[in-house]
Amino acid sequence: MKEIYLDNQSAKPVDSRVIEEMMPYFAEKYGNPSALHTTGDIATEALEESRKSIANFINADEDEIIFTSGATEAINIGIIGYALKNKRKGNHIIISEVEHISIHNIAKYLSREGFEISKAPVDIYGRVDMRKLERRITDKTILISVGYASNEIGTIQPIREIGKLAEEKGIAFHSDAVAAEGLVPIDVKRDGIHLMALSSNDLYGPKGVGVLYMRKKYRVNPIMIGGGQELGIRSGSEDVPGIVGMKAAAEIMQKEMPGEVKRFTGYRDRMIKQILEEIPDSYLNGHPTERLASNTHVRFDGIEGESILLSFKDKGIAISTGSACTSKTLEPSHTLIATGLLHEEAHGSLQITTGRFNTSQDIDSVLKVVPEIVTRLRNLSPIYKAKKV
Amino acid sequence: MKSTKYTEKVLDHFRNPRNVGTLEGDDVAVGKVGNPTCGDIMEVFIKIDGDKIVDAKFRTFGCGSAIATTSMTTEMVKGMTLDEAMELTRQDVADELDGLPPIKMHCSNLAADALHEAIKSYRKGRGEEVSDESELVKEEVECLIGKDEFLDKGVSLSVENLDDFIDQRVLVLYSGDESVDTAINLTEVTERVILLTPDDTLVINPELAERLANSSVKVLYQSRLLEVRGEFEVEKVLIKNLDEDEEYELFVDQVVIIE
Repeated sequence: MKEIYLDNQSAKPVDSRVIEEMMPYFAEKYGNPSALHTTGDIATEALEESRKSIANFINADEDEIIFTSGATEAINIGIIGYALKNKRKGNHIIISEVEHISIHNIAKYLSREGFEISKAPVDIYGRVDMRKLERRITDKTILISVGYASNEIGTIQPIREIGKLAEEKGIAFHSDAVAAEGLVPIDVKRDGIHLMALSSNDLYGPKGVGVLYMRKKYRVNPIMIGGGQELGIRSGSEDVPGIVGMKAAAEIMQKEMPGEVKRFTGYRDRMIKQILEEIPDSYLNGHPTERLASNTHVRFDGIEGESILLSFKDKGIAISTGSACTSKTLEPSHTLIATGLLHEEAHGSLQITTGRFNTSQDIDSVLKVVPEIVTRLRNLSPIYKAKKV
Repeated sequence: MKSTKYTEKVLDHFRNPRNVGTLEGDDVAVGKVGNPTCGDIMEVFIKIDGDKIVDAKFRTFGCGSAIATTSMTTEMVKGMTLDEAMELTRQDVADELDGLPPIKMHCSNLAADALHEAIKSYRKGRGEEVSDESELVKEEVECLIGKDEFLDKGVSLSVENLDDFIDQRVLVLYSGDESVDTAINLTEVTERVILLTPDDTLVINPELAERLANSSVKVLYQSRLLEVRGEFEVEKVLIKNLDEDEEYELFVDQVVIIE
């Protein structure tokens, strides 16, 4: 039996329409966009069409789109590249406590290289506290990085407010938009974003492709040196088939997003409501309304996430958890801890993320097994004591 | 090996754990190891006749391998003498399960330790000499760093206006009935109220105890507030778990200290 896949935050299938558009670019239209002959021209045209399309998707200009090998690379160039370019102006960078782990690790790296890092706290729902963010700004602050939405708990940040604050203070604003793309309409001009990372796979395009949005006058230093492709910011011959795939994915997304968001919101609200009603001592993680349509994140007292994940796996359902026991470091999710949870609470979380190919029946299957999984694990647990009602 | 790549035996013991439950009686001893911070707590119960273990049960909060190792341990020890059981190691349990992923060897394979704790406590109960290095008397430190610095910047000595606490994460220090009452009242305006006490029970009147039990207040027992931290205002606290002798940070917005 095919596994019911509800871990769309970690990887998504590539849409078959995307694969179809990519196919000619492997063996027929294989040219290098830097070459001046006709074979090269065909590739250049595909590359520039893609750039136009992605720019349109986020309301950017074409010359502000840099293709990369994925979101992690885009984030590295965006943050490290900007920090290196502007270190004479200042050495202070602010990130939020709930950034993706890659940004926490980049911050660690930059602090070893002489930069000062401050982390802005979030509220109980995981939203950046604007007052606390603003108080951290000094005359040495050159960059603020706050992800558009949390890849874990799905909370959407007050992006426009942060963009406005950054603009007023003359500070660059970087946002990792990977979790939000395809679920929230992104408009870099309206949102006041200067640097932003996108991934192709999160739009149901191929893995291994991403974009750095780099606004004019917010140039970064390259961190990889080579032949000067992509405005000299990201050298290396462009992955034309992958880029065409990302373009196709973005175009489909632009058309289908409103319907999808509506469908996912229905799934999400049904799951949250039923789980919280049926399971005693269960709680929602993240914001009740300012959250990604695809994200359901709940926790249960007295049980542990990896056990929940394995139990779902046995039932043929793929989900995710904030538990330490599934991570490489055995540390609980820094995002859940930042919302004020104790370690043992953070361990007992269940994350369900829906995607384009899920159906209402998939949601039924989840809701059917949640009570028995939680009850079984609680019966095994020495720390779960049901509250008297 | 991926953390979820378990052997068939581990998965079998996770899916069908043997000997779940507790035991009671004069001939029963219990050992408990782990702590919620690491995500694992294991309790092993053994029933002893003479110097033989005649029955064993367990309860576990933890990941797949935590459940499987405790289950396997209870299977292995039945019929062993106490001396034999003291010789049982984590490695023996892992071997019997055809191995564990390396990252899991430490964190969740504590079942043998729980067993040894149970045997020690049984022997001690019978007046036998037991070597025990863990029973050091811990010094209690009575100072709280940051209280004055953050006074009225997130630290308050009373709750005058509930509106100041809407959707705030509030830590209330236990200091008698009034502090408990305050904590319960705060749940009207926020879902996150934590009551902190250094003791393992709360000495309060029964009516208040019942209101507390029915409220959403989270009580942290055997815990002491060491330090209030933040830039400009309260953002987190450093808490010491006295039982585990461990310190950890917790994100909060307000600390209420009723003296």
